[in-house]
Amino acid sequence: MWSELRALREDVDYGTPPRDGEPVTLMVDGEPVTVAAGSSVMFAAAAAGRSVPKLCATDMLEAFGSCRVCLVEIEGRKGFPAACTTPVEAGMAVCTVSPRLSELRAGVMELYLSDFPSEDIAGGWSELHDVIAATGVASSPYGPGENHLADPIDQSNPYFLFDPAKCIVCSRCVRACEEVQGTFALTIAGRGFDSKVVASQGESFLDSECVSCGACVQACPTQSLVEKSLFEGGYRRADSPQA
Amino acid sequence: MPIPRKPDQSVVTTCAYCGVGCGFKAEMFDGRVVRMIPWKEGKANHGHSCVKGRFAFDYYRHPDRVTAPMVRASIDQPWREVTWDEAFTHAASELKRIQAQYGRGSVGAVSSSRCTNEEIFLMQKFARVALRNNNIDNCSRICHSPTQFGLSATLGAGAASQHFDSILQADVILVVGANPTEGHPVFGSMMKRRIRQGAKLIVLDPRRTETVESPHCRADVHLALKPGTNVAVLNSVAHVVVREKLYDEAFIRSRCHWKEFEQWMAFVGDHRYSPEVVGPEAGLAPEDIRCAARLYASGPRSTIYYGLGVTEHSQGSTGVMCLGNLALACGMIGREGVGVNPLRGQGNVQGGSCLGSWPHMFSGYRFVTDDSVRASFEQDWGLALDPEPGLRITNMFDAALAGTFKAIYIQGEDPVQSDPNQNHIMAAMRNMECVIVQDLFLTETAKFAHIFLPGSSSLEKNGTFTNAERRVSMVRKLTAPLAGLEDWEITVGMINAMGYPLRYDDASQVLDEVARLSPAYQGMSFALIDRVGSVQWPCGPDAPEGTEVLHIKAFPRGKANFMLTGYVPTQERTDDRYPLLLTTGRILSQYNVGTQTRRTGNVAWYDEDVLEIHALDALARGIGEGDWASIASRYGSTRLRAKLSERVSPGVIYTTFHFAQSKVNAITSDLSDWATNCPEYKVTAVEVTKLQTSVRSEAGNPVAEEEQA
Repeated sequence: MWSELRALREDVDYGTPPRDGEPVTLMVDGEPVTVAAGSSVMFAAAAAGRSVPKLCATDMLEAFGSCRVCLVEIEGRKGFPAACTTPVEAGMAVCTVSPRLSELRAGVMELYLSDFPSEDIAGGWSELHDVIAATGVASSPYGPGENHLADPIDQSNPYFLFDPAKCIVCSRCVRACEEVQGTFALTIAGRGFDSKVVASQGESFLDSECVSCGACVQACPTQSLVEKSLFEGGYRRADSPQA
Repeated sequence: MPIPRKPDQSVVTTCAYCGVGCGFKAEMFDGRVVRMIPWKEGKANHGHSCVKGRFAFDYYRHPDRVTAPMVRASIDQPWREVTWDEAFTHAASELKRIQAQYGRGSVGAVSSSRCTNEEIFLMQKFARVALRNNNIDNCSRICHSPTQFGLSATLGAGAASQHFDSILQADVILVVGANPTEGHPVFGSMMKRRIRQGAKLIVLDPRRTETVESPHCRADVHLALKPGTNVAVLNSVAHVVVREKLYDEAFIRSRCHWKEFEQWMAFVGDHRYSPEVVGPEAGLAPEDIRCAARLYASGPRSTIYYGLGVTEHSQGSTGVMCLGNLALACGMIGREGVGVNPLRGQGNVQGGSCLGSWPHMFSGYRFVTDDSVRASFEQDWGLALDPEPGLRITNMFDAALAGTFKAIYIQGEDPVQSDPNQNHIMAAMRNMECVIVQDLFLTETAKFAHIFLPGSSSLEKNGTFTNAERRVSMVRKLTAPLAGLEDWEITVGMINAMGYPLRYDDASQVLDEVARLSPAYQGMSFALIDRVGSVQWPCGPDAPEGTEVLHIKAFPRGKANFMLTGYVPTQERTDDRYPLLLTTGRILSQYNVGTQTRRTGNVAWYDEDVLEIHALDALARGIGEGDWASIASRYGSTRLRAKLSERVSPGVIYTTFHFAQSKVNAITSDLSDWATNCPEYKVTAVEVTKLQTSVRSEAGNPVAEEEQA
């Protein structure tokens, strides 16, 4: 009904929205935790004080399951389900930390960082940087390959910019525009490696239907969408053309 | 290397723009505000924001800010900077001289809904203890005074019955004369969320706004009525409810007076309000009125949200009563998901209403003519108070023109740009001997001022705002006031200079005084708000942390009242000379008279007011997209660039009033609500003609010549 808005907390990101359902008790890393039915395993872990790494999940948006860093182990289940898209069940036993999980998450992070500006890793303070710290993966072992590092930056909006070099195409901006703001101005164009965030029909943010509410900027875990006011003297990337 | 600076300080405060009153974390770097992040625990916004609150805050350090008090002997002389003491002493001596010469009632004060509760309370105290009269009014006079009157008359409380979250339980949402997606964007987003979940939407608005149609949000019924026919159409909706027996008899019998209902039923049930009679007059299909009535009455939870499209009419108060009646008849009041809710324009319109900046009422909506109420204030303030109600804003300007009103102290308000019939206001301002303006910038009104007191922005002071859902939230000081004093300290300085000794250690003591003297606020304090985040009044022993939904068990007067709402068409009519109806409003990226937003990056979206005109009307006048057009009414004329639009119906034109050079209020009439004098901004008969050239002067003002007829 309204817990998805009213039960939000400033100091914790549950990863998926709070729910109104009946109480359900499960075990997370050996500790019992009780949450509302309809909550995700990620929510339960956060409620239990465990921090499952995540990139595409945040508690103001419905679960999406694209980033693959929130993988967990659940007793009696095959594979490594995503904590964000797996609903809780009574008696479920969830493990959020194991050598195999660390290995899998590290592998995913290495792939993300293979297409992320290396000079923006040290000293950064985004959610991506939190996951870098949590997984201990701060660089990619892969050699130079095809990438988005020179894609044009959109600085058309007076208040925020979009630097696709930092975008991991997690869709949080697109979903914030839909679910939080209700404007539906953003989408992901293209498939696979060519997927990219675009405003309206591939217009600049300023010329698009974007109403500049800032929900996408707030949702972005990598500061690919970021307030211009945080940069003294403007935002430039050495080798990138301005859109 | 583009790594962003990490803010080093964060303070939770409340947005000063619209009546949603979003909570924000103001993040600072090196003592400067660098970004505003919507507060996830903000109970009005739940972590969401709009372009104004989120980004348009930099006006606070715009070079146009005035940083020292200034005086001048006459309005054609240059300003002279003075100290605060000199400014206060000079202001007080002028006010006293004028009162000695022209009488105690020749001076007055006006406060603004952009000010905090504490500032508004102190302004009425200034009038009452320093001027010793009740010539105090506030700008909710010109927007939501009919709300207070109309909702008090029907429901017994002149405020929103619900909290915003209540809409998440509504099945049917009726929006009347409001465009939340632009005017109250964060609430608009919540409304759209509920509509995507399946709630039905009925919109009464002359325009096809974003609320009527946007992605995944479409009104099930849109009544695009002719401006000025609200009361007829709402009576007609009630007619259908009555004739088709869609009313909630059990609710009416237990919560209202059945005899009164029967009278009302006979009144709206009369043939003159049948959809077949009203429809043609309002430009609506009768069947659409019937659909709206059936949908609203069917609920099971139907809620009403309305804006200035209801109040800013010559029958504004009547329109508000129509909404109260409708909710009562259908039993849509007193629980979650239902209710009658005004959407307030400015951040503290509700506070402006509550805190006694009225010529006839003290804080908490209690009459100055009531001896026992007055005695409680006299006891607290230690002096005898004037029992006679004072002048309303409109009366002050009329009296100024008549030569009996000579001085005014205006806080945070720009009547020259925002009030109707601008030429009349300017003549009144010129006729005064002492105009004192307290503001951030030299506004249009400040051009007529003799004393300018530089105010503090909402980032530079402590206090509280009361939003449209009666929610009192903290405004916190992030940075020192540019001119040295917080606004409330300036008013205290004025009161002291007038010879009434007054001292508060901080703004919290002002709220304590409000709480002591106003029943609805009796439990309020900075400490309580700090602890629970924000508090909806009424707050007191029965509701120590405030009240979300009003009227659950009983109405303030016990039972609610049905009011008879006869439709009297406005005197503002179209004719051969003025065949079009102009209605005005606002857009997303600009705010009110634009003093703040025009000084931010928001001009990237909207850097001038434009005239929305239907292609058929434009074609008939040879006007093309982007052409300059002259708009003339019986009161004045102005010029705007035309935008061909299907949002307005033929016969109706629309514009905003965000930019001073547009002079939109040069053409609006001085007609006003019969009960409260709220101006009729929403209906002006006009004619539009094409202007030949479309060049801009260096100053950015349109330079155009009338086309030879």
